Amino acid sequence: MASNAIEIEWQGTLRYGEGLALQERAVSDRIAGTTVDRVLLLEHTPVVTLGRSTDPGNLRLPADEMRRKGIEVFEVGRGGDVTYHAPGQLVGYPILDLDVQGRRDVHVHLRRIESALMEAVESFGIPCRRVSGRTGVFVDRDRSAVPDGPDRKIASIGVGVRKWVTFHGFALNVSIDLAGFDAIVPCGLQDVEMTSVSRELEREGREGRKAGAVDASVRTAVGEALVRWLGPEAPVAD
Amino acid sequence: MAIEVELPSLGESVFEGTVSRWLVSEGEWIEVDQPLVEVTTDKVDAEIPAPHAGVVEAILAAEGDVIEVGAVLARVDPDGKPTAAPAATEPAAVPPPVAPFSSPAVPPPVEPSVPPSATPPVESSAPPAATPVARRVAEEASIDLRDVEGTGSAGRVTKDDVLRHQSAPTAPAAPPQAGSPSVPPARRAPAANAFGYELQEGDRVLPMSPMRKIISDHMVYSKRTSPHVGTVAEVDLSAVVKLRNQHKRTFQESYGKPLTFLPFIVNAAVRALREFPALNASVVEDAIIEKQDIHVGVATETEKGLVVPVVRHADRLSLAGTAMAIDDLATRARNRKLSADDLKGGTFTVSNPGRQGNLYGFAIINQPQVGILRMGEIAKRAVVRTLDGEDAIVIRTMMFLALSYDHRAVDGAPANGFLYRIRELLESADFDL
Repeated sequence: MASNAIEIEWQGTLRYGEGLALQERAVSDRIAGTTVDRVLLLEHTPVVTLGRSTDPGNLRLPADEMRRKGIEVFEVGRGGDVTYHAPGQLVGYPILDLDVQGRRDVHVHLRRIESALMEAVESFGIPCRRVSGRTGVFVDRDRSAVPDGPDRKIASIGVGVRKWVTFHGFALNVSIDLAGFDAIVPCGLQDVEMTSVSRELEREGREGRKAGAVDASVRTAVGEALVRWLGPEAPVAD
Repeated sequence: MAIEVELPSLGESVFEGTVSRWLVSEGEWIEVDQPLVEVTTDKVDAEIPAPHAGVVEAILAAEGDVIEVGAVLARVDPDGKPTAAPAATEPAAVPPPVAPFSSPAVPPPVEPSVPPSATPPVESSAPPAATPVARRVAEEASIDLRDVEGTGSAGRVTKDDVLRHQSAPTAPAAPPQAGSPSVPPARRAPAANAFGYELQEGDRVLPMSPMRKIISDHMVYSKRTSPHVGTVAEVDLSAVVKLRNQHKRTFQESYGKPLTFLPFIVNAAVRALREFPALNASVVEDAIIEKQDIHVGVATETEKGLVVPVVRHADRLSLAGTAMAIDDLATRARNRKLSADDLKGGTFTVSNPGRQGNLYGFAIINQPQVGILRMGEIAKRAVVRTLDGEDAIVIRTMMFLALSYDHRAVDGAPANGFLYRIRELLESADFDL
């Protein structure tokens, strides 16, 4: 049945505002029932988004400085945190109708996104884990060097819901220049260090993903994992 | 009559949320489905839509408040008159970016927002201005609004006008009475599925209230999460009966409340919990959390449904203190004066579902706890006792006490030990009064 399907759509590189407009339309369409469940996959041009509750002290660079570096600063009207997006980071906006038997649970939705991303990242040989009390995906290794070092986060997740239709989603660091995160303190968590697929592969002496853009093999792996975890046949998230 | 807007369920695993932002203000006219407020839980921002058009009469939860599912967020009066302009329509989604930026502006949510005071568009046989509720009521009762005299502002027809017209002798066909078994035509029948039921003529469709829905979801969640095991003890309450009879009158005189059996059970359970901390616990991922504090939920039936207000630090209370706390919570539950805090943080639950048809039974665990005690009916029974070295049949006041426990966290031996300890305390009537 068509309404059971989930479509993964590659959107290319978008400005953050374009992404918002795209989501607005997608959410309206999904509520109206004119589209099936979709995941919009894309990359954003460099942007820092501020939540309403963002403590300006969380920004390490003044807004002027960021503009000079070509980073847009976007204030989103939502609660929550400061985030950074740029090419080399795979952004996904699942536009799903959760208003069906067995899916009406926003936290389960978060867990499923985590499961999908963990599965995809692990398929590159990078073990992942969850950190209790923190939504997102963290890499699970190399703690021997710094036993009490910060948790290393590879993907961030944040979701909106309107009439059970989800928007926003996740940002998976693939080959993004992690120096960009220096402009911010991710999610207001001082004890989190951002990492990426490339950085983790390079640690192992393997070749990282080409800098600059997310390559197609990563998109494919993430897309397939999303279909498994968010689609109609999705297993129960743990 | 104002309509209460409650925090709807956001899923079985979601029990509360934080009010992050109000999108409307008091006195403002809102349309049905217009986003009212954003509520955050974990990394999810949920927009709560208006269940009904009307005027926001009162906002009852402040930004930053943590509220439980089912708690009242606001009251909306469908017949109210707006006293405030819509909050200078802060673009629902996004203010313009700081940086130079030329993307198409985010289209504002398309909400048909006819200002309520505006005259409706003139049609050929223009119906008079009326409130949305009046229109609905009139439509349901097949009343032509042109026949109704409007007494609202600028002659608008209100719901009361329609009802008055309806009850007037000249009213047409009898209106459906409240509670009549007619199925509202607008209500969509639940989608048929493998376990679906096809509506038959004469069936009554009773949509679940939000509270019913929460109870329903919670029960399913609990049964699915915890492997329940039940065990029963037969408890001789004769000594408690004697003690209670001795103190009943003085208790009533001193405290102005009757002394029931429930506080004895709660007090005994609390003391047994101190000795068996495995029952005062939660399962969190791969760990069992044994809790320092003992807060006992007392399952209470109210008109609106089942609620479980919590006696906090029940282990610090004397028997009389326990009795007073239970009485206070039960009274406020019946009067619907419980706050969200009264319902939070229970670590164990006692259920007392009454006397009739209740020899004993097993309750469903109140998540995320791992045990629940359920009182059976209290009745005199013939039992065997040894008197002066001889077995004899005697009459005693007996009760079956049933424990449901979560076998993920608790095994049979400690569970039985816990229940047996409660029995010992009750049979020895070891209480300070």
